[in-house]
Amino acid sequence: MTRVSDGDGGTERAGGSAAGDPVLRVEGLHKAFGGLVATDDASFAVERGTITGLIGPNGAGKSTLFNLISGFYDPDDGRVWVDGTDVTGAAPHDVAAHGLIRTFQTPRKLEGMTVREAMLVGPQDQPGESFLSLFTSPTAVADGERANLAAAERILEEFEIGHLADQPATDLSGGQTKLVELARAMLAEPELLLLDEPVAGVNPTLANELAAQIRRLNDAGTTFLVIEHDMGFLMSLADPVVVLDQGSVLMEGPPEAVRSDERVVDAYLGGGA
Amino acid sequence: MDLDPRAAWAGLTRAERGVVGFVAALAALLVFGLLTGGLAPTYFLYLLGLVGMYVLLSFGLNAQWGYTGLINFSVAAFFGLGAYGTALLTADSSPIAGGFNPLVGLVVGLALAAVVAVVIGVPTLRLRADYLAIASLGLAEVVRLIVLNQREWTNGSAGLRGLPGFFEGWPVLATFPEAMPGLRIAVPFGATILLETPFWQALLNVGLVGVFVGASYLLLGRVHRSPWGRVLRTIRADEDLAEALGKDTYAFKMQSFVLGSVIMALAGVFYAHLNLFVSPGDFEPINTFYVWIAVILGGSGSNRGAMFGGFVVIAIREGTRFLNGAGFVPLDVAPLRLLVIGLLIVAVMRFRPQGVLPPQRELIWPGALGDADDAGTPRSAERGDPRE
Repeated sequence: MTRVSDGDGGTERAGGSAAGDPVLRVEGLHKAFGGLVATDDASFAVERGTITGLIGPNGAGKSTLFNLISGFYDPDDGRVWVDGTDVTGAAPHDVAAHGLIRTFQTPRKLEGMTVREAMLVGPQDQPGESFLSLFTSPTAVADGERANLAAAERILEEFEIGHLADQPATDLSGGQTKLVELARAMLAEPELLLLDEPVAGVNPTLANELAAQIRRLNDAGTTFLVIEHDMGFLMSLADPVVVLDQGSVLMEGPPEAVRSDERVVDAYLGGGA
Repeated sequence: MDLDPRAAWAGLTRAERGVVGFVAALAALLVFGLLTGGLAPTYFLYLLGLVGMYVLLSFGLNAQWGYTGLINFSVAAFFGLGAYGTALLTADSSPIAGGFNPLVGLVVGLALAAVVAVVIGVPTLRLRADYLAIASLGLAEVVRLIVLNQREWTNGSAGLRGLPGFFEGWPVLATFPEAMPGLRIAVPFGATILLETPFWQALLNVGLVGVFVGASYLLLGRVHRSPWGRVLRTIRADEDLAEALGKDTYAFKMQSFVLGSVIMALAGVFYAHLNLFVSPGDFEPINTFYVWIAVILGGSGSNRGAMFGGFVVIAIREGTRFLNGAGFVPLDVAPLRLLVIGLLIVAVMRFRPQGVLPPQRELIWPGALGDADDAGTPRSAERGDPRE
């Protein structure tokens, strides 16, 4: 958690213009629903190898921003680059193909599937996902499937939930579901993983477990962008932290700087303090 | 699987035992009917053909609704497209191009259904599931009205007659019914059973539908227990999640929709060459709902379930005719069959919402589980009696 951040802690960086190697770059994103402006000229970047936090009071537009980045919403204006490729307006599965995988705020359960099956949806470009290949190259399908099964088993073990493999995916607790989601996302081998409130509704023990897993995966090279309301969780995990308020980026910096910033306090307390 | 009947029985879930018992009882009843002369063998085979046809329709809908969650209310339309597709090419009275070999009719019937499925899928499959449901409801009527009113193409309400049997022009099978000798079987207690040309003709038809059902079953089983089938199941459960995991859901939904529609059209092709006559009446929307009931009753997502469901729907639809003849029932029973089916569906929803034979196996390519020889069997027991 004592990650070395470049330069002086409190300085703001203009989105995208900073030097470095951004996995994700967002510039001037704008989205309005009727008269309500949900995202207003939001710009920031996520550097490779970081765990970047995204916080903001309720209604600040965090989830909208996630949806804009991952392709679920089309922005009215602005651009999104993933790994140097412009993915503005692309369909979610195209964005995913560029290495950006997201999870959802409310856990999505796969009815009628075991955890093992649910895990196997994660890997990208499986040979057996082509209808024709099932008939023309069954051996390639079998090889791919065998490799993915092994990978799923290994990752479940790494997450210490190997014993859940045979369980129906709908029978898990909230925390276990989040772990499975994270494990499945890892099977997609993402460059950047967007986590939408990974510990909402998760008991503290599992939350610590999730934090440890996220750190482990980050050490292994995955970049994270995390929305979270649990400040204790996020501040100990993320660096830098981006603060969103009323649809635009209020500030960005290491957690200590964010915590002590007056504008952030104002934003959370509605400007009264 | 297992040759030891007792072990095989022990390996079944309760529902499976119930189904086996039910089918055995019904089979016994039918044999009794056949032996006493209450049920003519030729009619019995005709019923079997109808069962096969409904099983095909249920397979088709299962590939759409059971696999992917696509709500298609135009089962009858795709069935009718298959029937008219082949009829227009093979019938003597076809205003377009009669006289082709039924195999050409088969290909054209299936292709027609595939094209219409794509046309209806392009605008609706990008949207939420409800829109396909609405569009397909309309499609069924549109297709029916076109067939009814475009007389210069379809003969309108007069329908198309003079269709050849499916095997017309084939080496041996074309003349098989005539070539077979008439058989006379004397049953000790009941009537004498005559097996003549119509019987052999019907037997041939049952063989044909058996091949169609068998081929569809193998094909569907193969594609369903695969990464492809897994993506469909994911879309059914949560389409956004499938997108977020990099699956092009539109393409998958389209494939599933076309596949199902083509199998429905296959049922139509069979029907046209069974009945040798097609008319706009074959587009009756009630058939769509019979098929829906078959799939829901059997267990959405399960081919065995679809098979069982198709069987039960025909048993009720045709069985009620016999009750009518039986003197001990004081009412006219046949009109009650819709009520019976309605009660059945309420009972299933109330007591077994997942259907009688829900899917049991994990959707994992069997070839990848090689070492555990018949994969899935140890797990199927766990899944057999799910969360009750």
